[in-house]
Amino acid sequence: MSTVSQERYDAPTLDDVAFVVDEVWRSLLGDEEGLDRLDHPGHALDHRVGTWTGAVSVTGEWRATVTVELGADAAGPLAARMLALPDDEPPTDADIADAVGELVNMVGGNVKSLMPGPSALSLPLVAAGRAAHPSELVEVTRLDAAWHDRAVRFTVAIPRH
Amino acid sequence: MKILIADDSRVMRQIVIRTLRQAGHGGHDIVEAENGRDALAKVATESPDLVLSDWNMPEMNGIDCLSALRASGSQVPFGFVTSEGSEDMRARATAAGAAFLIAKPFTPEAFDDALRSVL
Repeated sequence: MSTVSQERYDAPTLDDVAFVVDEVWRSLLGDEEGLDRLDHPGHALDHRVGTWTGAVSVTGEWRATVTVELGADAAGPLAARMLALPDDEPPTDADIADAVGELVNMVGGNVKSLMPGPSALSLPLVAAGRAAHPSELVEVTRLDAAWHDRAVRFTVAIPRH
Repeated sequence: MKILIADDSRVMRQIVIRTLRQAGHGGHDIVEAENGRDALAKVATESPDLVLSDWNMPEMNGIDCLSALRASGSQVPFGFVTSEGSEDMRARATAAGAAFLIAKPFTPEAFDDALRSVL
């Protein structure tokens, strides 16, 4: 894992990210639908089921990329819940992309608010596939969580100094 | 009363509508817009009583939409619903003529408080 010591970098703490994610998740899905934080993740994302990734960039006084990765087994139900779709109406890829984009937009916007400003938040980009940071970025915060035992991962990456 | 909700995310428009209902404001007519440019056009054609707008949108963002509305003479009450609630953003929103800024994630209570300030 390419995570580095946060003392060397201007990065949100894991607790900060966990707090933001918990607030966002509960506001989107309801208080009874919290994420379980996995401090020692026993199961990574299962890429066999397909993975959805959303990313936003922060530019300005603080620069970073915030991502969320989740399996299709979590992304589909997430979109269905956010759109309040009936059981017999599965979400489309556009619905899932919309839901994952809004999730990472909200998490990224709130993480941005914790860091030095002024800075600007990009529109979210969503793709089916894993997140991979280019070499000029270093991952500084990673939150592994589970929703109904399905893995969800949030990361913050910033430019190397 | 007619409320225009501007957000490029259909998911978020649905959540805002649901939260309005939970806040006790479910009886209003709702008009949806997909970005600031769409909102600008629909303010002219739909004459809403309130605009609830995202900040970060393609085509035209929320703050540019608000500026264009005020430049055109429209004084429609305008509030932001956005994932960025920093003091800098709130100051920019107020300076442009916004009545309030609700930061995501939000609660029905936050919506009720904000709407009561303009209704």
